[in-house]
Amino acid sequence: MGAQFNRVRAKDLVKIFGATRALAGVTATFEAGKITVVEGPNGSGKSTLLSLLAQLARPTKGTVLYGKVDGRVGGSALRGSIGVLAHASMVYPDLTGQENIELFAALHGIADPKKRAAELIERFDIGRFLRRPARTYSRGQLQRVALARALVHSPSLLLLDEPSTGLDEKAVSSLIEAVMQERDRGTILVLVTHDMDLANRIADSRIRLERGRVVAGEAA
Amino acid sequence: MKATLRAAGLIALKDLRIEARTGEIVTSTTMFAVLVTVLASLSFYLDAQTARRMAPGVLWIAIAFAGVLAMGRSWARERENDVMRGLLMSPIPRASIYLGKSVGTLAFMLAVEVVLLPLVAVLFHLDLAPVLGPLAILLVLGTLGFVAAGTLFASMSVRTSARDLVLSVVLFPLIAPALLASVVATRQLLGGAPLAEVLDWARILGAFDIIFIMAGLVLFGPLTSD
Repeated sequence: MGAQFNRVRAKDLVKIFGATRALAGVTATFEAGKITVVEGPNGSGKSTLLSLLAQLARPTKGTVLYGKVDGRVGGSALRGSIGVLAHASMVYPDLTGQENIELFAALHGIADPKKRAAELIERFDIGRFLRRPARTYSRGQLQRVALARALVHSPSLLLLDEPSTGLDEKAVSSLIEAVMQERDRGTILVLVTHDMDLANRIADSRIRLERGRVVAGEAA
Repeated sequence: MKATLRAAGLIALKDLRIEARTGEIVTSTTMFAVLVTVLASLSFYLDAQTARRMAPGVLWIAIAFAGVLAMGRSWARERENDVMRGLLMSPIPRASIYLGKSVGTLAFMLAVEVVLLPLVAVLFHLDLAPVLGPLAILLVLGTLGFVAAGTLFASMSVRTSARDLVLSVVLFPLIAPALLASVVATRQLLGGAPLAEVLDWARILGAFDIIFIMAGLVLFGPLTSD
């Protein structure tokens, strides 16, 4: 299992891709038990910020602190404490939902992947379709499996990247319920979305990015 | 090391499970390899003696072309639904992803070769029975090096739009020495050269394998990070 922490602090993050400055010095703090919505137009740096928080990319300058652990030295232990739920489900379409959840539980070093998968299946009530290949799922079903996959290791930080895209109202309500449960458990939640309705319903705090800088919000 | 091997095993088993269910990679790759072999046989056949001399080249060309196809398809599975991001987010050593994918692809390629070898023997008038053991070793060594190098570059294709072009253009020049060694070793073996001579080529192939595998283990992490 990964490291535990109750605060993530991005300090003066700069990320440059070639000639493009995706982030130009972003500082923000994300607290446990709170949902922070990151807003901004396309190209403002939201996804880049999420990649840096997810440890999928290294900042050109600046650092991310997970509790007291510096992201530059945290390595795989930090990755074991971060979950990502995105528009893309990150599940293998030719495996069943159950096999997907068990595989990622095993990759996260969980001692009994089958037991953990059973817990999540019961929690999200997804047992009805879980023995079929994921390729056959509806968008809503796929996103519920993706949520189970993202939470399989009980992450301290859950990053949500446009999770409601393509979902109907019922599926969005189900997603909100699950996200609220995670907030009540003390998970740090960061949501990137263009869905203002979703943002208005669940945001505890907001930051707004434009051209790689924080221009509004508590962290500005 | 234990964590790397454990995670690699999970990833390889996942690939084998998907393949057992779909048969997609082995079937399409085998068909392609068979087609290359039959076309080469029809195009270049002069007489039985010439055919025997050409067989090693045709065999390895078919393996190499089919291998590129297999590796491309194998990594396409990681691209679909952005699963690669999920793998990279897991707290496993990045090298284990490379190792697991390599083992899976090696298994696919060996399955293709089980079909390909008898076909080459029939079409090119080869008597494989006396050399089957050493030939199997050469095939494993040559395929291992090819897969070890190919898996590394195919992983880059997950993030590249011109992925097939990149894989072919980068991979073939890199593995050319190993491919040549495989062809020469196979030709010597089938031509009745002493086993000691073939063993020298096998050692060279083994050295290539070690270099490609070590390079893959070291470079995979940096190549899959922004």
